[in-house]
Amino acid sequence: MSQYAMVIDLNRCVGCHACALACRAEWQVPVPYHRNWVKRLGPDKTPEGLSYTFWPGLCNHCDHPVCVGVCPADKVEREFKNPKTGEVKKMQIAATYKDPFTGAVLIEKDRCIGCGNCVAACPYSARYLNEQLDEPKADKCTFCVERIAAGEIPACVKTCIVDARIFGDLSDKNSEVYKLVHEKGAKPLSSKEVDIGPNVYYLGKKKNISLLFTKCAPHERKWEKVSSLPPGRREMLLAAIKGLPSFS
Amino acid sequence: MKRREFIKLSAAVCAALGAMELQGRGLFRPAVSLGATEGAAQCLTGSLGAKEVTSVCEMCFWRCPIVGKIKDGKLVKIEGNPKSPANGPRVCARGNSGSQLIYDPDRMKYPMKRVGARGEGKWAKISWDEALDEIVHNMQKVKKEYGPNAIAYFDHGASAVFMREIFKSTGTENYTNEPAFFQCVGPVAIAYLNTAGYLVSGTRQYIDMGNAKAILLVGSHIGENVHVSHVREFIAGLNKGAKLIVVDPRFSAPADKADIYLPIRPGTDTALLLSWINYVIQKNLYDNAFVKDHCNGFEKLRESVKPYTIEWAAKICDLNPKDMKRAIELLAKYRPNVAIHPGRHSTWYGKDDVGRHHALAILNGLMGAVAVPGGIYFPTPVKPDKAKGMELEVEETEPPVSLTTEYPYSGALGTPTANIIKATLTGKPYPIKLWGVNGVNILQTIPNPYDTMEAIKKLDFIFCSEILANETAIWSDIILPDATYLERYDAIYAYDGLTPYLTVRQPVVDAMFETKSPYWVAHQLAKKMNVDVFPYEKEQDYLNLQLQPLSLSLEKLNAQGGIIAFPAKPYRDRKDLKLPTDSGKYELYVEDFAKNKLDPLPKFIPVTAPPKGYMRLVYGRVPMHTFSRTMNNLWLNNEMPENELWVNDGIAAKIGIKDGDTVIMENQDGKKSNPVKVKVTAGIRPDAAYLPHGFGSKSPLLTKTYNKGASDQFMITRYENDPYAGSSSHRTSFIRLIKDGKTLDIPEIRPLPPEIPRFEIKKTA
Repeated sequence: MSQYAMVIDLNRCVGCHACALACRAEWQVPVPYHRNWVKRLGPDKTPEGLSYTFWPGLCNHCDHPVCVGVCPADKVEREFKNPKTGEVKKMQIAATYKDPFTGAVLIEKDRCIGCGNCVAACPYSARYLNEQLDEPKADKCTFCVERIAAGEIPACVKTCIVDARIFGDLSDKNSEVYKLVHEKGAKPLSSKEVDIGPNVYYLGKKKNISLLFTKCAPHERKWEKVSSLPPGRREMLLAAIKGLPSFS
Repeated sequence: MKRREFIKLSAAVCAALGAMELQGRGLFRPAVSLGATEGAAQCLTGSLGAKEVTSVCEMCFWRCPIVGKIKDGKLVKIEGNPKSPANGPRVCARGNSGSQLIYDPDRMKYPMKRVGARGEGKWAKISWDEALDEIVHNMQKVKKEYGPNAIAYFDHGASAVFMREIFKSTGTENYTNEPAFFQCVGPVAIAYLNTAGYLVSGTRQYIDMGNAKAILLVGSHIGENVHVSHVREFIAGLNKGAKLIVVDPRFSAPADKADIYLPIRPGTDTALLLSWINYVIQKNLYDNAFVKDHCNGFEKLRESVKPYTIEWAAKICDLNPKDMKRAIELLAKYRPNVAIHPGRHSTWYGKDDVGRHHALAILNGLMGAVAVPGGIYFPTPVKPDKAKGMELEVEETEPPVSLTTEYPYSGALGTPTANIIKATLTGKPYPIKLWGVNGVNILQTIPNPYDTMEAIKKLDFIFCSEILANETAIWSDIILPDATYLERYDAIYAYDGLTPYLTVRQPVVDAMFETKSPYWVAHQLAKKMNVDVFPYEKEQDYLNLQLQPLSLSLEKLNAQGGIIAFPAKPYRDRKDLKLPTDSGKYELYVEDFAKNKLDPLPKFIPVTAPPKGYMRLVYGRVPMHTFSRTMNNLWLNNEMPENELWVNDGIAAKIGIKDGDTVIMENQDGKKSNPVKVKVTAGIRPDAAYLPHGFGSKSPLLTKTYNKGASDQFMITRYENDPYAGSSSHRTSFIRLIKDGKTLDIPEIRPLPPEIPRFEIKKTA
């Protein structure tokens, strides 16, 4: 199985925010929401010395995507095809799902009921509910699978002024991401409490990784608090989008 | 179809296509390559399938080659021009946000005439004809009443170049007063022009960081100060293993990447550099062959730096002498392949500024880091032809009293802005009654904006050309609405650095509202004033003429992706090396400085320390903003809507301030700032506070940024002028803090050596 992944090299990153803006432009993400962000960290003391670094963040496309588990939308059957082998797989999916062949966590927008469960569940706050739409919908980073399918690379990777973002297939032992994760020690942003298999990895000096983890690693198992909607809420949301023409 | 149905439809169609894409790479491609209709292309998600137009960015002065992506006639995205050898498909945060400049609802849409008091911000819409007639009338009237020198022009960037010729035509000696020189590169430009013989640092810095084995940054905060190819070269060098030494009172983004970080006392950089120069001479750590064959003045230098020992400088600079030695030995070890960054913004302390960069240039010469990989290098000229009639040949008549005479290095580069403002305020040595301002927000750029506002009150007439109604526009009598860089032609841009190229700015979308291009405006003014310049009706005419000698035209250039790359010739064999100085040698000792009664060799000139109870205000750039220009950009404003004042953690603990507290700054002249949040950090010295530049807008017409954060510029009321060109210093103001109405004096944690005098606040009765 393929798993798209990204490695962000903090040794190269200067915290310029180009990634965040290229993503905003590519997907016309309305202010103040974001799919992709840079949080500036420090300068702060760490056990390894003074550190001034960044958290360039995006959806982690986790191995165990807790956002998928809390989606209350009715499940439908979808057929997925392995882009490499042609293998076909059928799956029952809610409005958000993890693609079995790319590992990208995606949203079928027309079936999203806008309940905000997935938004509340994500320990990284990687999702937002776009309430500027007539019908609010959840939105997030797609790893730019649409661009990849068209032979392009993710918008944030393309604009990165110092080539600090490396994108690829973690299942491919010859890929750069594989080498950076398995040989150079790139680390996903996890904690003892929250370890859901993120597929965005960070490389950097000890002090920078230390500050990043101290300030940004999630500890709250947020999804455990949103396992179900309040009574009647789901029906209300479904009713709200009923009556709209169907295009499926 | 209702809006919500439309959204639903487009989402569904695109989702369906998206699902197809997921089933296999390439499935999607035929639809595109088969030349799908415009309509079908619109179904491609994101920026895919957009129409592309190449151009040149102007979100800052670096001017990266770009490509605009257009869907439904609207600019949806900007990327780097993939054919650019400098940036490729990359643009920075600001470059990515250019579309939000075009579509900013606060844009100046029509020519406007002031109807209220100056600075009040009340306007009436007028026609272009009326606006231009008014400008012409006032220029002629002022010239007639007070003489040509009563007219002054503050200019910056691509918007300003054409109108400069109009000012030149009036005969004023003040037709150019670039804050980009007098508030920025002046000192470093003068230092290197007179040692290396060329502009090692002006707009560009010809410093080969990508191939250096060691890099020295003195106050340069590359990475917070973002220019794509420059940052790329810096990171490429580090990635190849270059050692990095950073000298900065603040732990900057590059300081984090440094092998040796020297948190120097502000104002003492020259002392450090002089001690290093002495050290490498004493320990014979310099490039003997280069000095012998290619330098002038070594013996004089050796003598003059003898008093400056590492131990002496350690006390002055408040640094550990061991670290200082380690740093210079590291640098010397890798000579000549060392990048001693010349710096860019260098108007720091006034008297000391040219000397500091002269010292950097000397250190560079001693390392032999000239025209070799890693060192300063020679530009590779890529010259498009000049089209005839685009520049005026005016015989300049120096007035009996000139505003440039006291500064020998200013004349050729314009009139010092400080002198324009003083003359306007006092009428001495002659009155100035009309200002034109183009492409620069002088109130957020030139020290002591309070003086500038008083000066404006004394003018008969002031107009500006702007995209947004910033503070300067608010004070103008007429505002001309400028088309943005994405809506106009300007010029051919040739890059002469390590990746030479030639490209052209052209409109990515049509100019909105009644905005006009700078050439159009200057062309109209020339006609109305009967000035024999700009014979071309359209920009394309002169651009094509300029491209002709290269067997090119706009059409041909566009057919090849809007850009052409050339090979670089940055290095020279030592035996062929000839510097572009009069002697052909690298001038360690600058004879010309001596002739002008200035220091031919840098010496230690103490910079006054903060008065008791105050700390020095320092400032810098953030990567998501350019000067004070981008704070109203929807996307960039969202990334960073306001600034924070960096205060040392030890100081904060002593005065009882916590991270995130709100304070007001009060400077040595009693000027108070907007409330600003404090960032408490170990990453700043206790004798300095750091504030990102450009915030705290005073213009209510900038709805997103008005009053957000605090302005460093409005705290910088005290300045000194460098004696070479009269540039104005920016790091010579001091602040203390006010919290909850209580004034907090700043305790002194690092004691001051007796060699450094303290600034004294004059008590006014």
